[in-house]
Amino acid sequence: MSHAAVEQRELEGGCPLWLIQRPGPEILSAKLWLRGGSSADPSGQRGAAQLLAGVLSRGCGALSGDALADLVEGRGAGLRCEASEDGTLLSLKCASEDAPLLLPLLLQMVSTPWLVEDQIALERQLNLQTLQRQKEDPFQVAHDQLRHQLYGAGAYGHDPLGVESDLERIGAEQLQQQAHQLGQMGAVMVLAGRIPHAVNGLLLEGVEQQRWLCSAPPRAPGPKGLKQSSLRSSRDDTEQLVMMLGTTTTPLGTREALALRLLHCHLGIGMSSRLFIALREEHGLAYDVGVHYPARLGDAPFVFHLSSSSDRAREACDELLNEWMRLLETPLSADEMALALAKFRGQEALGRQTGSQLADRHALVLGHGLPFDFADRSLREAAELTPHDLHAAAVKLLSQPSLSLCGPASAIAAAEAVWSTHPLNR
Amino acid sequence: MRSILPAEWRDKRAANPLPGLITASLPEPQRAQLSNGATVVQLDLPDAPVVCLDFWCRAGSGEEGAGESGLAHFLEHMVFKGSQQLEAGEFDLRIEALGGNSNAATGFDDVHYHVLVPAAAASESLALLLDLVLQPRLDPDDFSLERQVVLEELAQSEDQPEEVAFQQLLQRSCGDHAYGRPILGSRQALMDHSPQSMGAFHQRSYRSDRCCLSIAGPLASLAIQEQLEHSPLAQLRPAEAGGEPQPLTFQAGEHRMELPRLEAARLLMAWPLPGAADQKTVLGGDLLTTLLAEGRRSRLVERLREQLRLVESIDLDLNVLESGCLVLLEAVCDPDQLPAVRREVDSVLRELQDVDPSNAELERAKRLVGNGYRFSLEAPGGVAAMVGNSTLWGRHHNLQAPLDWLEEWDVKRLARDLIPALSPERAFCLEAVPA
Repeated sequence: MSHAAVEQRELEGGCPLWLIQRPGPEILSAKLWLRGGSSADPSGQRGAAQLLAGVLSRGCGALSGDALADLVEGRGAGLRCEASEDGTLLSLKCASEDAPLLLPLLLQMVSTPWLVEDQIALERQLNLQTLQRQKEDPFQVAHDQLRHQLYGAGAYGHDPLGVESDLERIGAEQLQQQAHQLGQMGAVMVLAGRIPHAVNGLLLEGVEQQRWLCSAPPRAPGPKGLKQSSLRSSRDDTEQLVMMLGTTTTPLGTREALALRLLHCHLGIGMSSRLFIALREEHGLAYDVGVHYPARLGDAPFVFHLSSSSDRAREACDELLNEWMRLLETPLSADEMALALAKFRGQEALGRQTGSQLADRHALVLGHGLPFDFADRSLREAAELTPHDLHAAAVKLLSQPSLSLCGPASAIAAAEAVWSTHPLNR
Repeated sequence: MRSILPAEWRDKRAANPLPGLITASLPEPQRAQLSNGATVVQLDLPDAPVVCLDFWCRAGSGEEGAGESGLAHFLEHMVFKGSQQLEAGEFDLRIEALGGNSNAATGFDDVHYHVLVPAAAASESLALLLDLVLQPRLDPDDFSLERQVVLEELAQSEDQPEEVAFQQLLQRSCGDHAYGRPILGSRQALMDHSPQSMGAFHQRSYRSDRCCLSIAGPLASLAIQEQLEHSPLAQLRPAEAGGEPQPLTFQAGEHRMELPRLEAARLLMAWPLPGAADQKTVLGGDLLTTLLAEGRRSRLVERLREQLRLVESIDLDLNVLESGCLVLLEAVCDPDQLPAVRREVDSVLRELQDVDPSNAELERAKRLVGNGYRFSLEAPGGVAAMVGNSTLWGRHHNLQAPLDWLEEWDVKRLARDLIPALSPERAFCLEAVPA
């Protein structure tokens, strides 16, 4: 297997540029990661970062929204722009030979967006409709509920799509202000695949007159979680009860986050994972059961999720709480630790299959102010962790989980009864 | 709003429709047959970080007979419950301890089981996979427990109103054909199944001439052929009868339903197209659906979402199936807008019947389809699935062929051979509104 060649540069204006030249298909993936995201939505403007992200592809520089779409779609390329909690990510994937035409769009989109009121209105309407439709999904309802339990009105307390009452009021003026700040908290560009010649010049094409000033995203503390236990329920006329049990933890890059990542592998990665075996294989209580543990700049959520038929809600809730309790009481065995490490290493290898995956992972890491070789360092550091380290991290960070329920009233009552008497809730 | 024609559209490069859309970096698939007729296809990707082992079998839900509803999918679950050599869960444990992962999927036509592992673990993983899939244990206690898991999967699916609406669309348009029946099966049928009936299904369907093993990744150090000759794959017998997929029976029509818990209305439409064996028509169908609904400048998205602002989203997908492909449309909108959405979809489709699409529209669609295909082949999993599925169904082309077939389509041929098939009269149309 041949390895990718990596080169670090800096664009005029200060944006770090990482080039990952790799053999294989003639495809180029480019990611521009901008610190900010929905956690930086101004007060009363929850949803602004995502709304702006959607509008960025609706015209920039000399191109109208239609002309931009004609250019990108006409070359069969993919161009996406989305806000997450900690940043806004612009993603381009194209045939390598189209890179000279398409790469200049990335900086043009962030430095000279059109922000036409009519297009903002359309994008806003689409986001409002999506928020409404998401209520059909009991998992989404339970997840939104848990988000409030874990972060309250804090920066991670809302869906990046926003909140209806705020979103309805965001217009061109607010987005102009947001657009001026794009990249001011740090930005990084990562290209992977077949890198074109004179790539710096291509990336700066069309923005020579308005030099885009930014710097590498710094290592900085992110939003905090509430760190308090709670129970919330939403009644819904469903077959199953959705249960989410979670808490807020620590940012990506800390030693404890690495310990939790290994616990994530132990609990929720693959069909040999602890939750899969305990809940599904040994009790047949669920089809879908797992762990949600995203990388975050601030206190990341660590969540068990499962859905089970209403008539088995009591048993399912009990088992789920027992599994969380087990984490706090019992360190992993040596075999479990070895398996968790193997999965961690396996996940890393599986996440490096395409140029897009490579660019994505490095942009995320660099966007968090971490070094380019963070993943490799983590592999080495993970090998030094012990079951005791993982247990200590669990005791420190997972001791006060909150429970979010969505389903029929009878199932909620059964699960609430379990919660009220379970040792985890004392 | 001002519209600016991008400068590169005047470039010479634009005159060459698909430069660069070649699969030169991908080698030819190497196909071979074991002495019992089982097919093996390999594709060497020396730069890939992992190997994909993908076992395909013509044992989808379409193979189920009377009283076997849901059995193909239930069997896929039971396979992971161990074999004569492997304890329940042992396969997953060993694969994952090797740094790999595995999964499976059951469709209407076929089922496949796939493993991604580092190259050094490929040989051991291959032995485990074939043992697991071809010699399942089907223990009665495991059977009862796993039935609960399948029932939970069914319940989870029923809690998604959109999935309920799609199932209704297929049931009403495809009727008694396998594509009209749920892959997960009915509750009662699932309760009635036994390890014996499942064993009989496995014996009948997992036959040497009805399966294909596909392997993609860095293969240089593997002696696969020799290993396979001594594997359970070489022990399979050929099928006793033909068992070709039944031709699709499709009924145009319409239906309106109220669904609890629906927050936005859905307009769902379905059209039949020739089956997957007609590969050039499949490519044409891909072009047509892309031209209509892929990207902001496609006809349906531009009219209904961008201009008239009637929908949150509108999608048109080609589902490639052996008995007959299905084109499925989904528009998500406010319930009050549903009549207007239906009217405009009809209008866009009728305009296409009356006036040929432009060359520029077709070229745009060719690039999107061609690049989508190229991008799907970047990882070993995509490559193994592509060559495995096509080989399973006797389609022995190389990876470049679909891109060449794309080039055979022009607007006249599209208008003559495919556009009439997507007329509103030929569709089954289902309106789902909140109860």
